[in-house]
Amino acid sequence: MLARADETWTIFEAAHLLNRAGFGGSPAEIKSFHALGREKAVDSLLSPAEPLDAFPLPAWSVGDQALADMRERRQLFRSNRKAMEGLSPEAAAAAKREAIKKIQQENRQQALEGQAWWFRRMLKTQAPLREKMTLFWHDHFATSIQKVKQPVFMMRQNELFRRSAFGSFKDLTHAILMDPAMVLYLDTQSSKKNMPNENFAREVMELFTLGEGNYTEQDIREAARAFTGYYLNQGEGKVSHDKRQWDPTDKTIFGKTGPFAGKDVIDLIFAKKQPARFMAKKLWEFFVYENPSEPALDALAGSFLKADFQTGPLLREIFLSKEFYAEAAIRSQIKSPVQYLIELLKQLEITEPPVGFPVTAQQQLGQVLFMPPNVAGWDWGQAWINTNTLLTRYNLAGFLTKGAGETDKSMMPERIKTPGMAPGPKQMGRGWKGPDYEKIAPRPLRENPTDLVDSLVFRFFQCPLPDKARKSFIEYAVTKKGAVLTDKETAELCHLMLSTPYYQLS
Amino acid sequence: MKTRRDFLRSTVLGASATWTVPMFVERTFGQLHEGARDLAVQPVTGKDDTILIVLQLAGGNDGLNTLVPFADDAYHKARPRLAKKEKEIIKLSDHVGLNAAMPFLGSLFKEGDLGIVQGVGYPNPNRSHFVSTSIWETADTTNHSNTGWLGRYFDNACPGADPTVGISFNKTQPESFGALKNPGVCLNSPELYRWIHSGGDKDQAEQFFADLNKPNTAADHDEDEPTDGGSIAMAAGGKVGGITGEGNLAFLERVALDARVSSKTILELAAKHKTSVRYDGTPLARNLNLVARMIAGGMPTRVYYVSHGGFDTHNQQVNSHDRLLGQLDSGLKSFFADLKQQGNDKRVVLMTFSEFGRRVSENASAGTDHGKASCLFLAGAGIKGGLHGSHPSLTDLSEGDIKHTVDFRSVYGTLLGDWLKAPNLKPILGANYPKMGLIG
Repeated sequence: MLARADETWTIFEAAHLLNRAGFGGSPAEIKSFHALGREKAVDSLLSPAEPLDAFPLPAWSVGDQALADMRERRQLFRSNRKAMEGLSPEAAAAAKREAIKKIQQENRQQALEGQAWWFRRMLKTQAPLREKMTLFWHDHFATSIQKVKQPVFMMRQNELFRRSAFGSFKDLTHAILMDPAMVLYLDTQSSKKNMPNENFAREVMELFTLGEGNYTEQDIREAARAFTGYYLNQGEGKVSHDKRQWDPTDKTIFGKTGPFAGKDVIDLIFAKKQPARFMAKKLWEFFVYENPSEPALDALAGSFLKADFQTGPLLREIFLSKEFYAEAAIRSQIKSPVQYLIELLKQLEITEPPVGFPVTAQQQLGQVLFMPPNVAGWDWGQAWINTNTLLTRYNLAGFLTKGAGETDKSMMPERIKTPGMAPGPKQMGRGWKGPDYEKIAPRPLRENPTDLVDSLVFRFFQCPLPDKARKSFIEYAVTKKGAVLTDKETAELCHLMLSTPYYQLS
Repeated sequence: MKTRRDFLRSTVLGASATWTVPMFVERTFGQLHEGARDLAVQPVTGKDDTILIVLQLAGGNDGLNTLVPFADDAYHKARPRLAKKEKEIIKLSDHVGLNAAMPFLGSLFKEGDLGIVQGVGYPNPNRSHFVSTSIWETADTTNHSNTGWLGRYFDNACPGADPTVGISFNKTQPESFGALKNPGVCLNSPELYRWIHSGGDKDQAEQFFADLNKPNTAADHDEDEPTDGGSIAMAAGGKVGGITGEGNLAFLERVALDARVSSKTILELAAKHKTSVRYDGTPLARNLNLVARMIAGGMPTRVYYVSHGGFDTHNQQVNSHDRLLGQLDSGLKSFFADLKQQGNDKRVVLMTFSEFGRRVSENASAGTDHGKASCLFLAGAGIKGGLHGSHPSLTDLSEGDIKHTVDFRSVYGTLLGDWLKAPNLKPILGANYPKMGLIG
């Protein structure tokens, strides 16, 4: 058990918890979160009142409709094939290309919709930790729509992660073995007894549960044989185990021998202590800071093992611990692009972001939901920031704070074409008017530059800034102030506050 | 004249460690730019100096279907569906030929400007994408290094260089750029590579911030002066392009400064050069085009890094692999034509690399699994063309993979020493690896 935080519970600590366990909030949201007290605030995160189905899914991703769509596609393929019989080889090939193109277009459009759906949910949810854990699992069991191709499976996997947000790591690993998107992503689909494919066997040990150095090449080769015979039944949208394609002979894994199947390998892995340590470290680094001390890690791994790999209790222990509120943890984490965007929108009290903004911004900043770069997920921390992405963050903040009308053309973020996803609108956010500055900085507040800056500092940074920075902002506001700061001048002040290295920290 | 280093010391880390004011730095560009120009005539960062392009083939390129050992029965036996027949290749010798998707590289080979190093790898190879990429990028086979081989070159052989000594056209900084002092810069689109301050009263804003943030004035010595962010941020791993042990805030401030310093220069240069050479629309070709524009503009850059992804061909590999090689070939064709037009073709050498090759035998999905050694390309007028190293045996295997005959650090060492003229390789590669006759 980690040492618990003491009785004092400041508003800055409340903001820190809401930033890390969720996606931050407006000053009003932080205040009501603070009013709960530490224990109740943590409870509210772990037992949200918002039901799992609070946000209706796009129709194409829901059970029967999705199955019907899949059947229709196969039907289409079959009838196409029939229609092609009379055609010349060239004409048949062209018809086939056309049919494939149509399906690809549909997939890319759905990918964009699914992407928007999840981003919107993150922005609007009253269960922020559940969404944050969904993102954590998405990164951990990384699967990309670019390879999976069928958005419906990505959405189903997303629902699995949401249901498992505070559940058992072990159960989720079992579920992932039978997850259609993962089966497609790691080629378990085509792994057969005569020629096992090592992809899933390797990643399940290296990236999902044990970490490099905690298994041998021999373990992987043997496990790959156990993971044979799993396949996706496209008609049912389910993964099954085909015993005929499974290698039923003995395998020796971690020194134990038996005719193991895939699920047995996962049980063998979780019979070890290492997954507890591996996951405790990863969760700590995701929510708190990198490289935790060995004693802290021992304590966390011990608790996790005792809780039989249940993540809820582990998260509770982290968020109630003294170390979570220590100096080393406060405002020391570099925001991921998704974190940056949702926090910023919440702070600017924008509930409907400009059309096309979320996906374009994610592309430019290097984190597109449903598209982690590879099976290891995203590189977090300093990897988000380079000269290019930092400048892009500054410019996106300028666009959001100032609106499309106030900006020169070059400021309109350009879309990037991403294979596997339909492009957003060509020029996104046309007519975007910027946030409501009457709400963010009411006129009376603008009478006094010091009060205005202090209020904005809390809104954007949620902690006292070093004096020099604060004074600079105040002086800037003073020189800008004619009779009273206009919306435009307020927007400029906000943009400058956001165009700082300091704002990149959460 | 202030150098970038002076600037860094006096303002960012020293005086205002908590934040930098973009407009202020914008104003000082002229000055910094001059400084950078001075440095640019130093021998190691001169405008007329040699340039290395590193081109990553991400995902593990199947070397055996790139440089095809068509005369080897074992090859055809191991790959009943994937093997290229003799008529499907561009013959380079009695034993090997190039995948026919690469006609340009074939002609380059005949002109003597393409070198192919066969059987490149390292001892005790790792089959994980991430570990093996890391090993190639850090040139450390124990995978413990926090700095990259190119970052160590910048640190050790280019003292005082501008951050644009290395430019990567990537969303993320390659691990090979990881450095203690100068990790280069990373950009994606030069048009957006600047801080855009729009709206009214621009001059007033600039003036205000310039006055407020003049370096070395009494105002800078506030009593609350923090110590380079150490009290707020904790030491981070710094595995990715960062400086080891640097806190997150200090890291952010350094990147912010580098962005400013490099932004204006790059923007100007990228707009200047126009070429009549046509490039494909692929991300690779687009990035090679950007590299050509930077070179034409006279950047002091010694190393450019670009990436071409999708080589993890576990499944139905024939079409996808040929397509990827075709994109590579077409991109390089435009790139070298562009360089020739500029008259810069003799200054540039390009090296490809991939984290590993692939298994000799095809798998059940008509693809190939992660392997070990592979081949790599060296292109450019400065290269000694032909086949280097010996083609590994397809029957004497290690866990189904070919064994390496050349250590990749020998290739790095040769390029660093003979092409980039790094005076001392030991601090960069950790040891002196036998050089190969690749240049000349």
